[in-house]
Amino acid sequence: MKPHRAWPIASGCAVALLLAACGGSSSSTAPPHQASQVFTYDTTATVMDDGWDPATEYSDGVLAMNNMYETLTRFNPATHGVSPLLATSWSKSANGLTWTFQLRHGVYFHTGRPMNAQAAKAAIDRTIALNGGAAYIWGAVKSIDATGPYTLVFRLKYPAPLDLQSSADYSAYIYDTKAPNGQPLAKWLNAGHDAGTGPYTAQTWNKGQELEVIEKSFPRYWGGWSGPHYTKVVFRVVSSDTTSAQLLRSGQVTFVEQMNPFLWRSLQGVPGIHLVSSPSWQNLLGQFNAKALSLPVRQAIAYGINYPGIVAALKGAAVPASGIVPAGLLGHFSDLPGNYSYDPAKATQLLNQAGYGPGKKQLNLTLTYTSGDSNEQVVASLMKSSLAKLNINLTAQSLAWPTQWAKGKSANASQRQDIFIEYWWPDYADPYSWFVNLLATEKQPYFNLSYYSNPTLDAQINRVESLVATNRTAGINLYRTMQSEILQEAPLTVLYENNYQYAMSSHFTGFKVNPAYPNVVFVYDLKPTGS
Amino acid sequence: MIEAPAPLPAQDSTVPRGAVLRRGIRANPLLVAGAAGSALILLVALLAPLLAPFPGDAGTATHPLLVLRPPSAQHWFGTDNVGRDVCSRVLYGARISPLIAVIVLLIATVLGIPLGVMAGYFGGWLDEVIMRVTDIFLAFPPLLLALAFAAVLPTSLTTVIIAIAITWWPWYTRLIRGQAASVAGRPYIEACRALGISRWRILVRHILPNSITPLLVQISFDVGGVILTASALSFLGLGAQDPTPDWGLMVAEGQGYFTTAWWVVTFPGLAILFTAFTFNLFGDGLRDLLDPKRTFL
Amino acid sequence: MIVYAARRIALAVLVIAGVLVLTFVIARVVPGDPAATWAGPHASAAQVAAARKFLGLDRPPAVQLLSYLGGVLAGNWGVSVHTHQPVLSDIGTAAPASLELVTAALILAVLVGVPLGLVAARWPDGLLDHSIRAGAILGVSMPVFWMALILQLVFSQRLHLLPAAGEFSPGLLFTHPLARHTGADVVDALITGNWPMFGSTLTHLVLPAIVVAAYPCGLIARIVRAQVLDTIGETHVQMARALGFRERSVYGRFAMKLAWNPVAATLALVFGYSLVNTFLVEAVFDWPGLGSYAAASIAALDTPATLGVTLFIALVYVVANLVVDIVQAAIDPRIRLR
Repeated sequence: MKPHRAWPIASGCAVALLLAACGGSSSSTAPPHQASQVFTYDTTATVMDDGWDPATEYSDGVLAMNNMYETLTRFNPATHGVSPLLATSWSKSANGLTWTFQLRHGVYFHTGRPMNAQAAKAAIDRTIALNGGAAYIWGAVKSIDATGPYTLVFRLKYPAPLDLQSSADYSAYIYDTKAPNGQPLAKWLNAGHDAGTGPYTAQTWNKGQELEVIEKSFPRYWGGWSGPHYTKVVFRVVSSDTTSAQLLRSGQVTFVEQMNPFLWRSLQGVPGIHLVSSPSWQNLLGQFNAKALSLPVRQAIAYGINYPGIVAALKGAAVPASGIVPAGLLGHFSDLPGNYSYDPAKATQLLNQAGYGPGKKQLNLTLTYTSGDSNEQVVASLMKSSLAKLNINLTAQSLAWPTQWAKGKSANASQRQDIFIEYWWPDYADPYSWFVNLLATEKQPYFNLSYYSNPTLDAQINRVESLVATNRTAGINLYRTMQSEILQEAPLTVLYENNYQYAMSSHFTGFKVNPAYPNVVFVYDLKPTGS
Repeated sequence: MIEAPAPLPAQDSTVPRGAVLRRGIRANPLLVAGAAGSALILLVALLAPLLAPFPGDAGTATHPLLVLRPPSAQHWFGTDNVGRDVCSRVLYGARISPLIAVIVLLIATVLGIPLGVMAGYFGGWLDEVIMRVTDIFLAFPPLLLALAFAAVLPTSLTTVIIAIAITWWPWYTRLIRGQAASVAGRPYIEACRALGISRWRILVRHILPNSITPLLVQISFDVGGVILTASALSFLGLGAQDPTPDWGLMVAEGQGYFTTAWWVVTFPGLAILFTAFTFNLFGDGLRDLLDPKRTFL
Repeated sequence: MIVYAARRIALAVLVIAGVLVLTFVIARVVPGDPAATWAGPHASAAQVAAARKFLGLDRPPAVQLLSYLGGVLAGNWGVSVHTHQPVLSDIGTAAPASLELVTAALILAVLVGVPLGLVAARWPDGLLDHSIRAGAILGVSMPVFWMALILQLVFSQRLHLLPAAGEFSPGLLFTHPLARHTGADVVDALITGNWPMFGSTLTHLVLPAIVVAAYPCGLIARIVRAQVLDTIGETHVQMARALGFRERSVYGRFAMKLAWNPVAATLALVFGYSLVNTFLVEAVFDWPGLGSYAAASIAALDTPATLGVTLFIALVYVVANLVVDIVQAAIDPRIRLR
């Protein structure tokens, strides 16, 4: 969930630097095999812009964190369930209120201490107490007990899919709560250190520079290092698409997280480069300011956007959306009544109700989107164009993500935008994230940048998680009901669902897209072929 | 905007003006070429609605199904990332750049000339004060000051104009002051004063006309400079916003597609280059013409 | 000489003071409430008022100006909104890369521009002369950001001759790590004898330097040509001819001698101009200098950072001009007496 980055979504730390590749020239000859293999992940925005604390990090740091830290379970797209990671097995009680996890033996934190139930409990307790980031995923937890050296028992307030929630890409990490030498943990972490159990550990943090984060292999990783593995992971911040493509061609980066669809296509057939296109659980939203715009106006805007035009212009990077929940997740419906389509006639009718429309008073709106994202820029342009036909004058402002977000959150309501464009993706393989973060009432705006408040919806949101856990069908129906309401109320519209387009070197194997960890590359799982 | 060291003070020519002009044109291919090019651009700017095949594309029209098409018979310069005809937008863009240049230079001269004249003619503490103020403004490289202003004001075409005008006026003050000071010291001016002719009449009838020559040359050079500065500001996102067909903005928007769709960036860039080049050429030629004793650069 | 130098320095100080005041004025022209931005989006009215007091925004403008001046002189240039670091330290990190780039560009401009100007003056009004003049005008008419894109496309993408971006090949970071002393990578590689890194940094410097050098090169060619043509008719040069010096020496030594003066003056002017041009070029080449920093600050609406960079470059500009003025006066006594 963090729509911070334009494209990249959460976790995905994969970047290994192809050490062999660079020699000072930009030749595209294959690099010679070397003992130290580096994986370079090319991303467009600063990776660690939300700090180094695994409990609260809620931004692009996910890319790096998911290689340094691990969770109890990991989502497996093949089974659409979770697989063991730090937990080797788990079970829940009949009433679903008690979960017992058996933890893996022989796991060490990068600080040197062994991981056990006591340490895991301390980590999750701390994450809950700090209540930052995606801590809400532990919302059902009443208490945690370490009943054995490797046994962790969770007692819940209401039934919840804890195995799924503990696979989240944010705030679910198990980490050492004691920093070396007794320093305060947060301070030590934010100086560029990590306290995880993952295969890689932080080596260097060049804050604000291009080669921002460098990770090196952790020798005592429980998975071992037999066979070919990357030994170093480098995160390289390159803001220009064109430059990233050139760096990939010359072998200076291994994986490019995002580039515009045309550039991506042009890499087809280039020797040494492998392209991957994959559906995702990420969608692009336009959140309408519910305090500034009346209902007919919001609905009119939703009908006034050329959705098929946007999908066509983005040539493969976008697919049409149906409802708020993306395809592949529970709660997705392709037949929701009231799903918006491009209907200028209907839009005009609605606008006329409010005194606007062609021939009447002009409506002036402001829209903000994230700078550096060429797709969002295309969307803004197309929206401006289709809304202009309805006598709506849209001013689109491109801002760096932190600035865009700060403006949306500002306490001064007149500073806020009318339409906020951002991506959304789930924190774990569940649609709950959209509802609890984007649509639940907020005293101070955080991600509900429609500033929408609906007590009925709030009550439904509070119920839905436990409902799904106890009565799946009823839960799914509730998601359907909620989406219908939201479509009717139009606090937001879904512009499209993302289709990931990755470009990477062909000198490794083993890459699989895992939609639960958007844009994350689990570098340990890759096998460099060095050819 | 940076130019060679300040021009030599204007010398009265002993050759009749008409003769200079006639000889000048033949001996000044630069001037002719520059003038022709500049005239072409102004013509295009005026006739853009008639010349552009898709005038709506210079406004809010988009064509999502015609995205990034290469140059063809239908779209001579291809289409951009939202399907707009690049040729039409480049043609309409010709309205924006010269407009910015005209307004900026108008403001700069209206502000700068009176100040320069006062400084040069009256001298003394007024001169000192005005010169120090221009020094301060000139302490910033041209684009920088404009950028600083444009960065704090809301982004728009108006902001760009104001920001650049603020940067440009000191050059004119300096220029005119030099002229005014040199003319003011001449014996015949003293004679005028002795005869009781008012300072105002002296200013208007003697000093200003002598300053026109270098002023015209400077202005013709500055058109190119202002256009480059304005396109640079647009490129950085500080100027006109989408969908305004500003050339600098078009280059900025097309950057990411450059390697796959070279036309989106190339044509607006060529337009900027051609415009700046042509006005610089004109300025060069004009200088050659009006300052015959001066070896031209 | 001392009197002249002292006068120039005093003038420069005055100008710097004026620059500071102007920057302060620009900072205050910012629409919106700096106190609200500081207090954050969740602040209450009372907290915003407290922030206003803390930032000193409730004091009269004159007092604010004085404390701003004091802060700047003490090294407190504000905190960057997008990096959360002190602006001065950000500038310190980013400046060497830009200074390196501009220096390389100016060296290139002199190496290419001076000979071109000489050649043009040697055979004036010929085809070569007209071509060089046209080329020079082309150089100063070139939109720098566009040229950067085109060169990158042609030389890096299509011809694979030069690297696309960055300061050096990242792979070298592990095999031949660069020890940072000055911050300018080419210089650092040179002084630490890190030859692979030196080669890499040089090849990465070529394209950006060529782009930045276009304008100064055109300017210098024009000035050299004009100056040489001006002096070629003078007595001492005719004398050199009469004494039997070869034409090449006549032009290269005697006529050129006087041309160095305006060239030096131009270099000072153009140093500042080129430093600002880097704003347009660095983003294309991923060059981590002031330009990238400024471009990022602009996108983030980071006023302290943008104005900090503005102030820094203006100061560099003033100092550069001052140095050139004094050096010129030391070389050419006529200047002092004017």
